[in-house]
Amino acid sequence: MRNLIAKLALAAAVLGSGLGTAAAETANIWVRADGSNFMPRIVDAYNKAHTNQVKLDIIPNAEIIPKYGAAAAGGTAPDALSLDLIYTPSFAAAGQLEDITDWAKSLPYFASLSPAHVKTGTYKDHIYGLPFSADASVLIWNKKLFKQAGLDPEKGPANWAEIAADAEKVNVLGGNIKGFYFSGNCGGCNIFTFTPLIWASGGDILSEDGSKATLDSPQLRSAIDLYRSMVKKDLVPAGAQTDTGANFFAAFAAGNIGISPSGAFAIGALNTQYPDIDYGVTFLPGKDSGWSSFAGGDNFVVTKGTTKLPVVKEFLDFAYSLEGQTILAKYGSLPVRGDIAKEALRDLDPRYQIAAEAMAKGRTPYSVVFNDLINSANGPWTQMINEVFFGDDVDGAISNAQETMQSIIDQAPQK
Amino acid sequence: MTIITDATIAPPRLGKRAGASRRQWIGLLYVAPAVALVVVFFLIPLGMTAWMSLHNWPLMGEHSYIGLGNYVAILRDTRFWNALRFTAYYTVIVTIAIFVVAFPLALFVERPRPLTNLYRTMFFMPAVVGFASASLLWSWLLNVDSGLFSPAAYDLGLIDRKFNLLATFQPAFWSIIAMVVWKVAGFTMIILMAGLQSIPQDLQEAAVIDGAGPFARFRAITLPLMRRTLALALILSVAGSILAFDQFYIILRGGPRNQTLTAVYWIFNQSFVSFKLGYGAALSMVLLVVLVALSLVQLWLLRKPEGLD
Repeated sequence: MRNLIAKLALAAAVLGSGLGTAAAETANIWVRADGSNFMPRIVDAYNKAHTNQVKLDIIPNAEIIPKYGAAAAGGTAPDALSLDLIYTPSFAAAGQLEDITDWAKSLPYFASLSPAHVKTGTYKDHIYGLPFSADASVLIWNKKLFKQAGLDPEKGPANWAEIAADAEKVNVLGGNIKGFYFSGNCGGCNIFTFTPLIWASGGDILSEDGSKATLDSPQLRSAIDLYRSMVKKDLVPAGAQTDTGANFFAAFAAGNIGISPSGAFAIGALNTQYPDIDYGVTFLPGKDSGWSSFAGGDNFVVTKGTTKLPVVKEFLDFAYSLEGQTILAKYGSLPVRGDIAKEALRDLDPRYQIAAEAMAKGRTPYSVVFNDLINSANGPWTQMINEVFFGDDVDGAISNAQETMQSIIDQAPQK
Repeated sequence: MTIITDATIAPPRLGKRAGASRRQWIGLLYVAPAVALVVVFFLIPLGMTAWMSLHNWPLMGEHSYIGLGNYVAILRDTRFWNALRFTAYYTVIVTIAIFVVAFPLALFVERPRPLTNLYRTMFFMPAVVGFASASLLWSWLLNVDSGLFSPAAYDLGLIDRKFNLLATFQPAFWSIIAMVVWKVAGFTMIILMAGLQSIPQDLQEAAVIDGAGPFARFRAITLPLMRRTLALALILSVAGSILAFDQFYIILRGGPRNQTLTAVYWIFNQSFVSFKLGYGAALSMVLLVVLVALSLVQLWLLRKPEGLD
């Protein structure tokens, strides 16, 4: 009886897979909720075109790290996951990821993959993560409010003085309308949108290899002065002081904010959810000239010891194809292959081109303790930005954060 | 299975001694499910926590035995001791606040009067809301731009500039206290009310006949006879406050400027933000000891005085 069932099952399997020679395999992949728009689309497209299949799980942003850790400890980790790129160094350092150096370097377009992703995907000269989805920080402005305030609606601010002046003019409109918005109690938002102001002016907050905190710089201080002066002049809504990121996008989308630093994701979100908002996109400028951007997004990493490596590679190959890159771009991620980015974005909103350019030159700080330093709501960076933008003791806040950050870096496990 | 059926249909008259020992076994059988639950969901996890606290146990990667290393590190962890100090401060303030509100409420709703049931329901209602949902609700109420308190005060002309309640320590802290009192006082009220109702009416009447005023009756009759009820309400309130986390996490994120980090919040951060599970386990053990010690002290303070039933 059992034998019969086995034979039947085998026959069904053979019939089901058509005349395929190799048995189809299914790889399990996780993505954080930020990718819930584009990831199911690209997985569907892959599954339709391939014998091998991918099973996708979408995990809430805040839970994906602990959940993955627990699953890895219990031996039920997914074969691969799309991981916020800043975590790649710490995951690699923990010995959790498969070394994919040889495969990565064999890709013909390896050199044109997003450099910021590849940099964070590299740990001790080995590659553990490759770019998957991308988001770059940009500056957005409300054209309707600019027009009402007598400004040229087609010209966004190109340096700090223009940001402050434009914000002030919009602010004059009064009522609920405010000139500028930022999430003043959100470390992640401000590493994304505030540090580019410093980078574009020639400063940095961490040394290249992440071993030194370099907060106390003239560039940081003048960027702080820009924000402080706008807060003082009441150009920023009072809620900004305690916004832990909940209003990072929503404040601008409500249509009452003149200028706000934001990300490429806002283009897709505004176009689909708030089609009435007429907005422009430009680079985050330096003090006098120049611009910079934070290159964010996800790296694709493979769990150490997975048996589904061929499927995972096939899937990533598909994502890197023009078809894959176009699907990603259409549903909210910037392309990660520089050589075909223009083509993938050809039929989309032209404002994406600015974001794609920002991405190509974007930077990402490198640290194995990025979460402790920057993203944690109780970390030194978050505490500092809140104190320097709204508090009374700028010097004390900077030196305190510098000291705490350095001690966190020094206490990190050296492996 | 057979044992149970045996037991349930066993003839009632057995030898006295055999019956007693048999009943003991049956009793053990009856509590077995509860015991199993406690073992599986409390004792084993507790043992694992203790075991983990002796290791350097990252969320990912290899763990290694480091003996008492984590406990030594706790001694130097000033941010944990600060969090514990803040937790103690919060516990004292919020417990007093809860009792100050709940006791009068209990006295008010204890006696039957018109609409008593309506009042009881009204006061108790917030207690059925989860702490997380209540925190979300209040974080909206307290929002300076789109919330209730600050915009309402502004629109009524009470203040000439919107005031961000959550931006500085004092208003933020007292906002949380107000929210917790709103949420918990109703529950404490019910416990205290039950205690009040268990006091025999004739004692009060006798005291009235002896000429005791309301305050003297409260001090000499109500309070002493409510010892056990007070102990229960107090222990629940203190234990709940020492484990406070949701409201500070959801409404304040430990802010402004990390001044409202509680002990549990710090444990959460160490375990799931910094991924140091071993260290988090050690912190949990320390907090457990603190909590058990505090509960013992409270039980001792409110123990039954000798000679009183």
